[in-house]
Amino acid sequence: MNLVQQLINGLVLGSGYALIAIGWTVLLGAARLVNFAHGQLYMLGAFLAWSVMAKLGVNYFVAVPIAVLALGLLGVVLQAMMLRLVMQQNLTSLMIVTLGFGYVFQGGAARIFGGDPERFISPLQGTNIRFGELWFTWQDVLTLVCTLLLFGGLWLVLNRTRLGALVRSVAEDPKLAQLFGINAARVYIGVFVFECAAVALGAGLVAPRSPILASMGFDEVILTFVVVVLGGIGSVGGSLLAGFGLGMFTALFGALVSPAYTTAAAFALLLAVLVARPRGLGAR
Amino acid sequence: MNAIATPAALILAALGYFVPSVAGGAPAVYAACTTIAILAVMAYGADLILSYLGEVSLGHTIFWAAGGYAASMLAVNAGWNGWQTAGAAIVVALVLAGALGLATLRTREFVFSLVTYAAAVVAMEVAFNWSFLGGSDGIVGVPPLQLTVFGKGISGAGNDTLWPVAWALLMLTLLFIQRFRQSRLGTSALMVQMNPDLAQALGVDSRAVRFLVFVASAPISALAGWLYAYQRAYVGPDMFESYFLVLMLTAIVVVGRRLLLGPLIGTALIIVQQSFFSIGGDGDKIILGTVLAAILLLWPSGLIGLWNVLRRPPANVRSPSAPAHRR
Repeated sequence: MNLVQQLINGLVLGSGYALIAIGWTVLLGAARLVNFAHGQLYMLGAFLAWSVMAKLGVNYFVAVPIAVLALGLLGVVLQAMMLRLVMQQNLTSLMIVTLGFGYVFQGGAARIFGGDPERFISPLQGTNIRFGELWFTWQDVLTLVCTLLLFGGLWLVLNRTRLGALVRSVAEDPKLAQLFGINAARVYIGVFVFECAAVALGAGLVAPRSPILASMGFDEVILTFVVVVLGGIGSVGGSLLAGFGLGMFTALFGALVSPAYTTAAAFALLLAVLVARPRGLGAR
Repeated sequence: MNAIATPAALILAALGYFVPSVAGGAPAVYAACTTIAILAVMAYGADLILSYLGEVSLGHTIFWAAGGYAASMLAVNAGWNGWQTAGAAIVVALVLAGALGLATLRTREFVFSLVTYAAAVVAMEVAFNWSFLGGSDGIVGVPPLQLTVFGKGISGAGNDTLWPVAWALLMLTLLFIQRFRQSRLGTSALMVQMNPDLAQALGVDSRAVRFLVFVASAPISALAGWLYAYQRAYVGPDMFESYFLVLMLTAIVVVGRRLLLGPLIGTALIIVQQSFFSIGGDGDKIILGTVLAAILLLWPSGLIGLWNVLRRPPANVRSPSAPAHRR
């Protein structure tokens, strides 16, 4: 095993984990909403980009933004349906509803796109950069850059703008925020749309690494949980660090122990953290 | 009240036994009825958590699969009979639920759901990769169920043979749930859910209540998995599939939570649709998921809530003496 190569792999994996998790972090922090359809939204993002490329013959760099836009629109529709439960903060029902949505997406995608694995190809996936024995692809570089830009931009928006102040005030106390004339419903929709669009971007950048299947998405959800809980629920900077930490952990675990059990190992890590600190590492 | 309710329940239960023969006795009918009974028992395990603790356990597929795996492995490799494998299924479920219950002792709401969900996905990964559990092939060739006392009893694998077992298991489960609802643990669980402060003030240890209910719920789903293994003569990682999870939750919420017969009626509706009015596996997924989401979005109290809405007289003719609408 080449340690430096594994660290590079960890960085690559970690940027993907962080990117897939970012929407969920914001959603959980601002709306206390858990979206169990997250993995299926990842699947949909990948399949939409793939089908736009295959059916319309457009370029990868056009297809991914189309998928991001489409999932953003889907987010508006989904959140509009859930709005009453969200305003009541009926979290138990909401969790089950999103699970139902995910199941519909899974069945619908299998019906529309078929049950076979498809190859969603990025032109950058095959372009390697080599330094002696070490290597990575331009796709990995693109993913890392997009992740850092998105996290940086998000941090600025949340902490330095009026929009961010609105989101933070609704997260803090939705009823009080409404008394001050803040339209909490609009904030919830915005946050949910961001989640859907962000996971579509994550799928567009990460999914080309392996064949895509209508039944995929479960591992992505688990890894997202781990990132969000390790990073401290709702913490943007924390989830970036947790994403990279988890990436390093799975790269080293896959190389040293067994690649088949990496999700199980990530989950064991999550359990250990939860038993020690039920509200996550980032919680004070 | 009880003087009428108990005999009525017994008569209803006895009539339930003859449903497949009254419905024609065709093999497909026996298969559907047996499957409904098995999956309803599976759902009752999760019902204990969702209806009485108010938490969403997404990990009950673990206990369901554990029951199936325990039965299959011991029947295939050690030649154990049905009583022995059922005992083993219960023990395995209790151990797993104890471990998961301890790990989630301090978690609430979505963290509890996330951890149980993650546990189920990981358990599936382990079952898929670990050759001890048969790996991706699962365990094939489960022998016919042997459930005899002094040489008399059930021996067979057909749905018509398994139906009496499935029916008896369902009746035992209903009896257990009914007793649980009236028990100290059941009422404490409801109090912890509805008014945790009151529960604490009355000296109820909410963590102990949550742990005990969680552990008590696991053998129910496990026994369903135990019988399912004999019905299919095979278990595999597909027992962890989200189909069973979504089915459990839909069965619980579709009629209405905290109703004794709710999960049974819910399961029956779903399986009748899938057995006799199926539009293909993926189409059935869309139906099941849509029903689950739509019920909670439109009539959060389930079909029973819809019934109350329809039954409620229009506002202008409501008589002042009408009983208040119960929520």
